Amino acid sequence: MAQALAQGPVDTGFWGTRAAGVAALERELARLRRAQTAHAREQGRTIARASVLNLVVYAEREVHARRAALSISELSLRHPSRAIVLLADRGAREGVEGRIDMHCHLPSADSLQQVCYEQILLRARGDSDERLASAVIPLLVPDLPVFLWWTGNPPFGRRHFEGLTALADRLIFDSADFARPDQVLPAIARVSEQARGRFGITDLNWTRLTPWREIVSTFFDVPAYRPFLDVITGVRVGFAVDMDGRDIHPSQALLFVGWLASRLGWRATQSLAPAEAGGLLFAMARGDGAPMMVRVRPRFERGLDEGDVSGVRIQSGTGAVMAEFVVKRQPDPRHVTATTILNGERRGERVVPLPSPDVVELLGEELAIVGSDAIYEDALQALVSLT
Amino acid sequence: MATTVVNPLREGLRLARTPEPSTIVIFGGSGDLAQRKLLPALYNLALQRLLPAAFAVVGAARQPMTDDRFRAELRDAVARHSRTKPLNEEVWKSFAEHIHFVATPNDAAYDDLRRRLDDVDRELGTHANRLFYLATPPPAYAAIIEAIGAHGLRGETGWARVVVEKPFGRDLATAMKLTEIVHSVFREDEVFRIDHYLGKETVQNILVLRFANGIFEPVWNRQYVDHVQITVAESLGVEERAGYYEQAGAMRDIVQNHLLQLLALVAMEPPAAFDDRAVRDEKVKVLRALRPIRREEMAERAVRGQYDAGFIEGTRVVGYRQEPDVARTSSTETFVALKCFVDNWRWEGTPFYVRTGKRLPKRSTEIAIQFRIAPHRVFSREASAGLEPNALVLRIQPDEGISLKFGAKVPVQGIRIRSVNMDFVYGASFMVDAPDAYETLILDALRGDATLFTRRDEVEQQWTFVDPIIDAWSNAGAPPRYEAGSWGPAEADRIVERDGREWRKP
Repeated sequence: MAQALAQGPVDTGFWGTRAAGVAALERELARLRRAQTAHAREQGRTIARASVLNLVVYAEREVHARRAALSISELSLRHPSRAIVLLADRGAREGVEGRIDMHCHLPSADSLQQVCYEQILLRARGDSDERLASAVIPLLVPDLPVFLWWTGNPPFGRRHFEGLTALADRLIFDSADFARPDQVLPAIARVSEQARGRFGITDLNWTRLTPWREIVSTFFDVPAYRPFLDVITGVRVGFAVDMDGRDIHPSQALLFVGWLASRLGWRATQSLAPAEAGGLLFAMARGDGAPMMVRVRPRFERGLDEGDVSGVRIQSGTGAVMAEFVVKRQPDPRHVTATTILNGERRGERVVPLPSPDVVELLGEELAIVGSDAIYEDALQALVSLT
Repeated sequence: MATTVVNPLREGLRLARTPEPSTIVIFGGSGDLAQRKLLPALYNLALQRLLPAAFAVVGAARQPMTDDRFRAELRDAVARHSRTKPLNEEVWKSFAEHIHFVATPNDAAYDDLRRRLDDVDRELGTHANRLFYLATPPPAYAAIIEAIGAHGLRGETGWARVVVEKPFGRDLATAMKLTEIVHSVFREDEVFRIDHYLGKETVQNILVLRFANGIFEPVWNRQYVDHVQITVAESLGVEERAGYYEQAGAMRDIVQNHLLQLLALVAMEPPAAFDDRAVRDEKVKVLRALRPIRREEMAERAVRGQYDAGFIEGTRVVGYRQEPDVARTSSTETFVALKCFVDNWRWEGTPFYVRTGKRLPKRSTEIAIQFRIAPHRVFSREASAGLEPNALVLRIQPDEGISLKFGAKVPVQGIRIRSVNMDFVYGASFMVDAPDAYETLILDALRGDATLFTRRDEVEQQWTFVDPIIDAWSNAGAPPRYEAGSWGPAEADRIVERDGREWRKP
């Protein structure tokens, strides 16, 4: 342990003091709780120690660990939890050490309630893949679900990943970060199949799509427009890239296409082909066998995160009536316009709020759901057939 | 009924069943309720993307007004009363494009209204799906309903539903008469009698707590429950509602609807499903089993009161009779306490003490289930001095939550027992803003889900229970007075003290 300490100090101001071993760590937590309660009592308050879940965060870089810890502390009011941050410094030498930190938040100044949540840092150094899970197990609060939040690409099949997912009720990751979505998304589809019945899967990038799915669905709630769903001739999905278009992250746009395809029974007739400027173009067949084209295009848009869907255009019709259903970001990216066009004539337009949620809100939404999302799994499966 | 068109994209979304394209027609469109509650609720639904893509609001009122003027008034009202602030101008602008106004100063004007509704259908594809909302004072209800029927406002293709605000009648006879008028135009399954208490998250949570958990139901009966207390306390006085309140009183304003709803939810048997039929069937059974309060029992089982001057939150307030628009000799009750019994297998002999009042010390709505004490005393009398009976308290407002009181050992040498609370605080577990009751209920009405609305037989049972009490009081002079800022008249304490119990201090 002393040796581990010598290799680059942990910021104890942020992560709390160091404890030697699990028993010491639990003692320290108890001491902190008592101190906090005593302090609160002086001010005539009581502390509620509420926990609704265990949240295990895996990160390989301190900046990611720290960012995740900050997100969780913001979340603690909504989802009081025991948070265990695993920082695996794979470059360093071996050994697992526990660090302990405890935070207490006042929901608001005039409130008499305080909810406290506990945050534990585990920093592992060197090749500790096979012992990570064993360090986490004694720290989990019993009888509560375990959410595993994996920052970065999930290393499917690797020992530490398998060991930690075996503890988890739910695996959370963000496919927006994936560098090669055409490779990683199919891998996730396979994992989600294997995971069925063991743990649920959450892709924060999928959560970002929810409002898009809602808005596009709403078009077809109008009974008169519902039949257009069966005669779609083309779909265009735009996604944001930075100014020089270097980083291309089409995962979200692809998931959207996968969703439409799985809901509407489309199949791929040819695999993904690169199109102009980092875009993708592919031919699909509708349920009735008629061909249609899907285009996924990068666009530069101010105010959007890279990879975020920036617009959707669905073309449909039978020849007599051609319809277009368009969702477009407004100049202010927090709103979109949803427009219905029949035979070139604008038939209805409304402005819909579409705030881009930060990771805290996305996580908060996902932590509220414990089950798996079959619609997501279907969308993934549809994507596999494209690649 | 309209044909349902399946939208395959809807599957798995938060709202698997969204409202169909439709129009809400608000009678009393420029009134207080529309401005303070209905439009803010609709706007917030739009903000949450919960309204259908094709959706219009048509306001109707006697005084003529242009669409622009109407929109401007509503904009100000929404900016002031919306639970989310500030107003999202872009969403409001897009939403307001489909707000219209039609003046209905006389019967002939309802033809204008019909034409406007037909125009909206053509323009938006709303398919003549119409929700009529009666937000006028009750005396206007009958004429409006008759006009809806006479002028063919229901439309031919879509569904039609009507939302009727409380009070639904002022006694059994008038409630039945009103139902009869409504039924001349709408079927019972198209009638949505609103009781906004049922739209509150924590009220719905009573059902979740009882029927989604396995541990409460086994003790939820006469064997384990000593008694139940339901309190709906307001610190406000009559404010600017004196005109209405003088006629209604606490009995019609709160007891007949909100309090009896809470009682029904606490006492009901488990419904077979969470749907309009099963839930309301079970609630009606409770109301039917309520033991009537006979005239000779009035002194022991029913107490009323009227507030005098006093202090609320450190401020001097006037008595009820000194309020503006209140008769100096008014005998309207501002406080009611009742001892109720539900005469069925589950609750035989278990009293339900209920009370409501204005100018009570604090605003608080809660339901307390007081359990029996442990059957045998294991610990010495001195050790148990700090022990109170177990209580499960459901707090409806404010500080929504649930507390369970139980005895715990004080950490000293030897045994000393004190009661402690285990608290569940809604706000702390779910940091999401709870939707306003009106948002929930309007959305339900648009979707045609009547579970949280009051059915005809429910209303009639409610009046059947309260009518004789109101009758008895009407011949018995003025109600006893209580000081503003107290928990009601001393008579109210006696109805529980006579049973060796006491009111909680919520």
